[in-house]
Amino acid sequence: MRFPKTMAVLLFLLCFFFWPAPMIAVTHASDTADTGHAPENHAAHDSTEASAHGSGHANLGEVLPLWSCIPFACMLLSIALLPLLLPNFWHHHFGKVSAFWAAVLGVPFLWIFKGGAVYEILHIILVDYVPFIILLWSLYTVSGGILLRGSLRGTPVVNTIILIIGALLASWMGTTGAAMLLIRPFLRANNYRKNRTFMVVFFIFLVANVGGSLTPLGDPPLFLGYLHGVTFFWTFKIMPHMLLVSVLLLIIYFFLDTYHYRKESASVPSEEAKEALKIEGTYNFLFLGGVVGSVLMSGMVDLGEINILGIHRAVQDWLRDGILVLLGIASLIATPIKLREDNEFTWFPIIEVAYLFIGIFITMIPCLLILKAGTHGELAFLINIVEKPYHYFWVTGALSSFLDNAPTYLTFFNTALGSFYSGLTEAQAVPLLMTENAIYLKAISAGAVFFGACSYIGNAPNFMVRSIAEETGTPMPSFFGYIIKYSLIYLVPTFAIVSLIFF
Amino acid sequence: MIFKKVLFHTHFRELALNSLKTILELKKAGLESIILTHIIPRDEVSFVPYGGYLKETENQLKAEARMRFEDWQKIIAEHGIKSRIRIEVGAPNAEILSIAEEEGVDLIVIGRKKRTLVEKVYVGSHIMDILRRSPVPVLMSKYMVQFEWENEQLTRTNDHIFDRPMLATDWSQPSENALQRMSALKGLAKTILVVHVIDAKLSKGMSRDRLSEIEKESKLRLKNYCRKIEKSGMRAEYHLSAGKTVQELVRLSRDHKASMIVMGKTGKDWFSEYWLGGVSHQIAELSELPALLIP
Repeated sequence: MRFPKTMAVLLFLLCFFFWPAPMIAVTHASDTADTGHAPENHAAHDSTEASAHGSGHANLGEVLPLWSCIPFACMLLSIALLPLLLPNFWHHHFGKVSAFWAAVLGVPFLWIFKGGAVYEILHIILVDYVPFIILLWSLYTVSGGILLRGSLRGTPVVNTIILIIGALLASWMGTTGAAMLLIRPFLRANNYRKNRTFMVVFFIFLVANVGGSLTPLGDPPLFLGYLHGVTFFWTFKIMPHMLLVSVLLLIIYFFLDTYHYRKESASVPSEEAKEALKIEGTYNFLFLGGVVGSVLMSGMVDLGEINILGIHRAVQDWLRDGILVLLGIASLIATPIKLREDNEFTWFPIIEVAYLFIGIFITMIPCLLILKAGTHGELAFLINIVEKPYHYFWVTGALSSFLDNAPTYLTFFNTALGSFYSGLTEAQAVPLLMTENAIYLKAISAGAVFFGACSYIGNAPNFMVRSIAEETGTPMPSFFGYIIKYSLIYLVPTFAIVSLIFF
Repeated sequence: MIFKKVLFHTHFRELALNSLKTILELKKAGLESIILTHIIPRDEVSFVPYGGYLKETENQLKAEARMRFEDWQKIIAEHGIKSRIRIEVGAPNAEILSIAEEEGVDLIVIGRKKRTLVEKVYVGSHIMDILRRSPVPVLMSKYMVQFEWENEQLTRTNDHIFDRPMLATDWSQPSENALQRMSALKGLAKTILVVHVIDAKLSKGMSRDRLSEIEKESKLRLKNYCRKIEKSGMRAEYHLSAGKTVQELVRLSRDHKASMIVMGKTGKDWFSEYWLGGVSHQIAELSELPALLIP
């Protein structure tokens, strides 16, 4: 079985990172006290010390070489290229690939920076990875218990309405949840249509990406921002950008669909049995409300801090994670297995996200630390080049098109922090970025979310939608076909308009 | 109530063909057609992380399955039985149950895969899920089984599974249903064993008089079961025992050389059924004999 083997690798890695933590930290502290020098250790020590006081970790970022970002680049390139070049190998071994790149970074990082490295790895796992996966899991589990039954006729008007509903839902149930809820009814509604490819592509644009830009629940990059101090409702500030992109894309879609509908002389088969539309598992909307509520709660209350393995984390954050897990379990218990089966619900996509993102998060540590060091780090040239808001929009966007948009967001979020507030702690810098330099954060957020639609690998639901469409017989363009025939033609000009107007 | 149409599901694990051959004997009891079914789990071909759908792999897996089935169809045809092939992609349990409903089968035959440690501890394996949810009888076929008996590792081959079926009854409606279903084995079963176990939990702290009353009553009922079986033209014998039900049933099946165990599905509430498994499910899981569960 694939699952236990990959799980074992993952567990090994986690154990490897977790087990020596206190021991190394203690040894390191005494070493430093004894010798009082050795620059790397000193940096690590400062970092560990700083952590205890809740400040940033600029020193480690100042000493890390640029090539320490190579495993991160390789991890992202593996995600970009292996599904295209070696799909079978990738499908069965992606967890091992992720573990491999995590080890390539983790082992030497721990060897050289000892306590500092342990702290950074634990920090990214406990503060970023765990809540990130828990939120995705709970949204995926809860939305997987909602089933839309009934026969729809896929006319241009109906299809446009489905896309609007999907885009509206995406910000509240996650792009993955909204896409999974609607893609099968959308495909069923159009199964009598000849040309369905463009429909699925626009579904990916709107439901699996652009629609998720209004709340941290919508798209993973925004949730990472939320975890780093961006307030829940701040993301509403990119509503004008989102509305502009959505309206433009919906108008284009409506005309395209009308053109094809007429050209095909499409008519709904008369023998088709009509089934009234109905939503089953509606109680899952309550759980969804619980998810929204618990995420909101964690941003509004202050219950103090708790120190776990040397990492300080707010009690309300742990509480939120616990509630999210309970809501997921409640949804599993309350939803009949038959309903999930009819929804063709499977754990595979979320397991895949969990495996890949542990690799992404661990390998991206040096990159984030160097960026946080601002002009004192080896990525100073990048910080100096990326100056204007539209730079942030296009650079974040361009990279989000080909790399997963969540780590890309975090990278440029840190670039902005390093650029404007180098030396300040994250807790001090983020509120300033949200107010004094809000346009930059808007550019990063909009760029990361919108451009995730530019390729199949820009955002996790893209490939899931593609997979389901292909399974049900809708031909989908190749990786480059998608970019050339759709992204460059419809998305890039739309983003250019957004850039001209807002950035 | 004969088994005219049977769904035979396989993962093409070793000895799957032998398992199929064991059910061809049902021809003598009226079997007319077999739906050869293979489900490719969706995760095998779909949701390639950041990729798409492995259409070529799906086609290849389907072609391989078809080729194997076509070879099997020759053997089935030699026995004068019709057969059809169904190869689908999806969630195995849901697809098996859905095909069974579509085709209107009278019996689902599924193989038991080697259990992992987790599945040994956790009764709710995939196969248990089908046993729990199927509205038609399910035969859990076990062609060759390794098991432990009196500290010895033994291997058993179940090739004539319908020779001496053992009907275990708890007097419930599902047990009555199972009794009625036994007539489907007419012309096939040499003797039908009817057994009942007075459960230790029930007899604990019971007075001697009450116990002998229950014993007497149980014997009467067992005789009644035998009479019904004999009326339909088959031989029957009964055995009564007391103790822990599952262990006693396994012992009775060994002592009296049963060839399979037939039971009505015990009707427990959802929670106990899912996490603990009813007696019927535990027997299906623990016994070295094939288990036929009747809803």
